[in-house]
Amino acid sequence: MSITLIDPGGRGGSTDRTLAPRLGDLNGLNIGLLSNGKANADVLLRETAELFVGDFGCKVTGFVDKRNASRPALPEHHRELADTADFLITAVGD
Amino acid sequence: MGSVAATAKTVAVEDDVLAAIDTCYERGWTDGLPVVPPEQSRVEAMLAMEGRPPETVIATHPTTGLECSILAAAVNAVMAGCLPEYFPVVVAALEAASEPGYNFHGSAASTGGSAPLLIVAGPVVADIGMNAAGNVFGPGNRANATIGRAMRLVLMNVFEMIPGISDQSTQGHPGKYCSCIAERAERNPWEPLNVELGFGEDISSVTVYAGAGFCNVENHGGNTPEAILDCIADSMANLGCITTGQSVVVLSPEHAEIVAATGWSKDDVKKYLFERAAQPVEAMKRVRKYVLREHERQGTQDVRRGFGPDDILITVAGGDAGGHSAFIPSWSRSRGSIIQSKPIGVCIDC
Repeated sequence: MSITLIDPGGRGGSTDRTLAPRLGDLNGLNIGLLSNGKANADVLLRETAELFVGDFGCKVTGFVDKRNASRPALPEHHRELADTADFLITAVGD
Repeated sequence: MGSVAATAKTVAVEDDVLAAIDTCYERGWTDGLPVVPPEQSRVEAMLAMEGRPPETVIATHPTTGLECSILAAAVNAVMAGCLPEYFPVVVAALEAASEPGYNFHGSAASTGGSAPLLIVAGPVVADIGMNAAGNVFGPGNRANATIGRAMRLVLMNVFEMIPGISDQSTQGHPGKYCSCIAERAERNPWEPLNVELGFGEDISSVTVYAGAGFCNVENHGGNTPEAILDCIADSMANLGCITTGQSVVVLSPEHAEIVAATGWSKDDVKKYLFERAAQPVEAMKRVRKYVLREHERQGTQDVRRGFGPDDILITVAGGDAGGHSAFIPSWSRSRGSIIQSKPIGVCIDC
């Protein structure tokens, strides 16, 4: 005899997602910056981006501040950044 | 209804309840305390309280897309120790938390460490034997304890808000195990919360609020509305707590009686608290908590808690004796989470 337990987990969601392929070479790529709106997040992002600009000749092509750290970025934010950027940097600022 | 085991993901364990409890631990299904093993007949009894199909989605994680079905809610309610008659409250609470305004991802993931405080009002309180009186925030009542715990288990098991991983609470608070109270209708001098929310006297409601740690407001000597409410306002405005977020104030019966005896309405109380829960701009600047854009939205000379009197929810609960009310600070520092309420579908034949 055995007891049948029902799994308490949910369904769908993150298991359906996959990581983007790794970038082979950073030289000359475009950077998108996504700020979560926390204090100094923009400072941290821009200074980080400067390292890529200086070391790899990258260029910042987009900056979005989603203003609310606890909510997901809007689809239009993703599209705006994806249109021009080869890779994205995002940050928590406090 | 067919067997849920036919369609659900299941685990077979030996016919030993203690072994089943251990299995739940081993699989990471608990909040740290032992759970009732979600054996299928218990889950089916829970589902019998809900008229919709078990696969019906009642809450969705806004970031990961993870979904909570009625079945998943039932499984976690069993594990929390709920009786089937509590299940409509659990379902309504999850539906409220799934409203975009509540933002349960942010409130559950944040360093702020909040808990979903559930406030139940209306006939269901007596129907299922909830405690609205002494020790209302404390232990001793199965419905209060397990309904609140079911919400936590859903957050952990369904939405994968795991402490240290996706739940990054700096400290959290004990209410993260369970945080569920009931309004004490017979000692509430004003209209019941479910009526204030527009659900009508016969329709019970559950309200969900992303609450931080509990703040006890003691005043045994005050015998005027001003004496009581000044203490509450001071708690709401203390420099550690003040933000432009919403507030929940749970008046003890003794305090509510003093305030209402002189004719103050609930709206009067909200207005008074909003006026008095304030800090000078200089004080906010001194502690580096001044946010110009939020203050501009308030349009007041000093910095207030919230954006207006309606940002303060007032309810009454607690024992007959004692000058102890409670202020529950919000997780949200502004509009990151807004209080949500839902009616409770207590009639399965409707």
